[in-house]
Amino acid sequence: MTASQDRAPVDVSLGLFDQDLLAACISCGFCLPACPTYQLTLDERSSPRGRITLMRAVDSGRLPADDPTVLEQSSYCLGCRACEPVCPAGVQYGALLEQWRDLTWSGARTPPVAAALRAGMRMTPALAAAGRVRGAARTTGRARGDGVQLMLGCVERSLFPGVSQAVTRLLPGIEVPSGQGCCGALHAHSGGSTEGHHLAERLGEALPGTILTTAGGCAAHLVNVLGRDRVHELSEHLVDVWSASEAPALTDVRVGGRRARVALQDSCHLRNGLGTSAQPRDLVARVADYVELPSAGACCGGAGTYSLLRPDDAAAVVAPKLDEVESLDLDYLVVVNPVCQRQLVTALRRRGSRVRVVHLAELLALALPT
Amino acid sequence: MSTSVVRGVGLTPEILDRLREIVGAEHVLTTDGDVEPFSRDATPLFRARPDAVVLPATTAEVADVLRLATETGTPVVPRGGGSNLAAGTVAERGGIVLVLTRMTVVQEVSADELLAVVQAGVTTSTLADAASARGLLYPPDPGSRTVSTVGGNVATCAGGLRGLKYGVTRNYVLGLEVVLPTGEVIRTGGRLWKDVAGYDLTRLLTGSEGTLGVITEVTVGLLPMPETSRTGIAYFDSLADAGRAVTAIIAGGTLPATLEFLDRACIGAVEDFAHLGLDRDAGALLLFGDDGSPRDVVESLDRMAAACTANGARGIELATDVAGSEDLLAARRCSLPALSRLAPVTMLEDVTVPRPQIARMVDDIEEIARRHDVVCATFGHAGDGNLHPTIVFDADDHDARRRAEAAFDEVFGRAIALGGTITGEHGVGAAKLPWLAQRLGADQLALLRRVKAAFDPAGILNPGKLGS
Repeated sequence: MTASQDRAPVDVSLGLFDQDLLAACISCGFCLPACPTYQLTLDERSSPRGRITLMRAVDSGRLPADDPTVLEQSSYCLGCRACEPVCPAGVQYGALLEQWRDLTWSGARTPPVAAALRAGMRMTPALAAAGRVRGAARTTGRARGDGVQLMLGCVERSLFPGVSQAVTRLLPGIEVPSGQGCCGALHAHSGGSTEGHHLAERLGEALPGTILTTAGGCAAHLVNVLGRDRVHELSEHLVDVWSASEAPALTDVRVGGRRARVALQDSCHLRNGLGTSAQPRDLVARVADYVELPSAGACCGGAGTYSLLRPDDAAAVVAPKLDEVESLDLDYLVVVNPVCQRQLVTALRRRGSRVRVVHLAELLALALPT
Repeated sequence: MSTSVVRGVGLTPEILDRLREIVGAEHVLTTDGDVEPFSRDATPLFRARPDAVVLPATTAEVADVLRLATETGTPVVPRGGGSNLAAGTVAERGGIVLVLTRMTVVQEVSADELLAVVQAGVTTSTLADAASARGLLYPPDPGSRTVSTVGGNVATCAGGLRGLKYGVTRNYVLGLEVVLPTGEVIRTGGRLWKDVAGYDLTRLLTGSEGTLGVITEVTVGLLPMPETSRTGIAYFDSLADAGRAVTAIIAGGTLPATLEFLDRACIGAVEDFAHLGLDRDAGALLLFGDDGSPRDVVESLDRMAAACTANGARGIELATDVAGSEDLLAARRCSLPALSRLAPVTMLEDVTVPRPQIARMVDDIEEIARRHDVVCATFGHAGDGNLHPTIVFDADDHDARRRAEAAFDEVFGRAIALGGTITGEHGVGAAKLPWLAQRLGADQLALLRRVKAAFDPAGILNPGKLGS
């Protein structure tokens, strides 16, 4: 092994990444403090800047795509995109990560759990059946036009059927078209960006109007593929429609005779990808005493398939957040994404916490007059 | 003894084994993938593969690594947050990149003694926050403060936005714990503002760019936190106009905490990122601010606003509160990375001239850029004459790169001719070494080499940079 000096490295690209996206990073390192895995390790390899340096090495052929560090770091990244809003150079890290995972999680290198989930979420009839069995909102038949149409999601339908139920109570008469499958966010984030793109387009055909989603992660992916005009995340939609027309008379959510104390966990892709963070806070504050969780904007470790693929790392990411939640004397912790809901329900239960984790829709439904 | 012969030619298995014994196997990185992220810092166009990356946790481990390196003639390049802009942490001769980011303990913040003691890997922001929590101010605030480490700040004598009123890192370093390349651990200075026992090694090591010793712990002086601070913006038709306003402000008896300027291209790039509603049509923006008692701050800002108006300001806006001021300063700190939106390669320089020469230097930079047909944006610390002309171009445009280098060569020469220097705060590193002789002269350069040899007889520390 000899020391190589490369004062004028003219990398010849193999065309594995979008060159404009890759060139945007100037390695200033302003992203380091925002990155959860860098904060845990203080290791350049586990930082957005370090990962982009690795991507560049792969793109120029200096490192093979199956280099062990390349594989490990593309997997260890949460994909939370917290590096994007703090990047003065405007690097689109999320898009780069999708391209990276297409390379590192392809074929036999795909983690089995990710492969299984990608296959499962492809099966629209099975998703529909699971949703029916679990009691998610009933579909209203084929899409009728181009109004607002509720998307049921793939994970949420089975795991948290009460969420879509709650939306139908908050927005009576909302259309819930049948025949909807997965939006493909899960695929795009785990090595199948082409399929993720196709699934989003297919969902856009099943829901030809404005797609209303209760999941921040799905919203960001759908916006990527279908455009901002076609997608409304629930909190955005409620703030919009309730200021334009008559909002339902909401009461206070009360616990033990007083107004409930409620904090929010942001959805990373909703906050970092779409820049939406004020609306869910606004809505919570309408029905309860809003308490800002200091780490609200930091990833909970759910991160798509992350908590299934890397449970120990997911636990390390969420641990400091659990301490915060416990110290704030909360009644509810509100989420706006089903993966966060699963991660936080599980983690707080394991800890024996009395704080209840609910989706924003569920909290607001509690405030509807009975 | 020559220091130029040291060159990492791969580390033997024996050396690697001993490194693993010292810091633990998981803190010695050697594979292509593992060392790649440490092959560069924030300097464009410089990259070199280290033979190994070593991440020590204690001063004793640093000492053992350096003793081994001297014994075996292995180059060692110390590294903190990796935000260096002069390729100071690039291992151009291979060997070991010694990363100090695991040494993150804030050991003490003393309100009684107005000082703090931190390990080298603590970030500048963490130190500033720890001081602030006790009502104290750590004034040096380099743009990279959230990333850069205190050890790295001392090694480069980092500057920042408060240089005019408060000085730079060297004005706050009271004492250092340093590991010499030969393995001895020494403590220079201490907790005293007055201490003249011996040569001022603390100051010599401050700005030594990792060529004389590895800084492992830093004692810094702190100030009482000013009661309040406030910032305003004045727009001008040209950067030279803003430069004249700066001269007028200081001639008028005001020594402000902040005097920063941005030219039109910088305003646009910063506005694209920060969305503060800056006037993109202005030719230049002067960010001025001060801190102190509420009354003093109001008076100071009024005086500065009046000086700007008298010197042709086309518009003035005052931040209404501290939060607004912080937003403006935060946006200014992002100027460099924000400029990278203009083109993929962002070559940033750091010339500094005596304050009365600012307007002239700015005019000269624009003239030189025009003549060499390069896209150049300039921002900088107007109060201390420190300018950051930045040339942007596409990575594969080799001709643009050659023109950029030719333009900077002239800019350096011009700065020196005006009584200035080739680098105010970023350091010499590998990037500016070719111009060092022009700045220092042969006799001083020879003295630097003798100093280097006294500290580092085997020439292992950051070889090929300062003093080599």
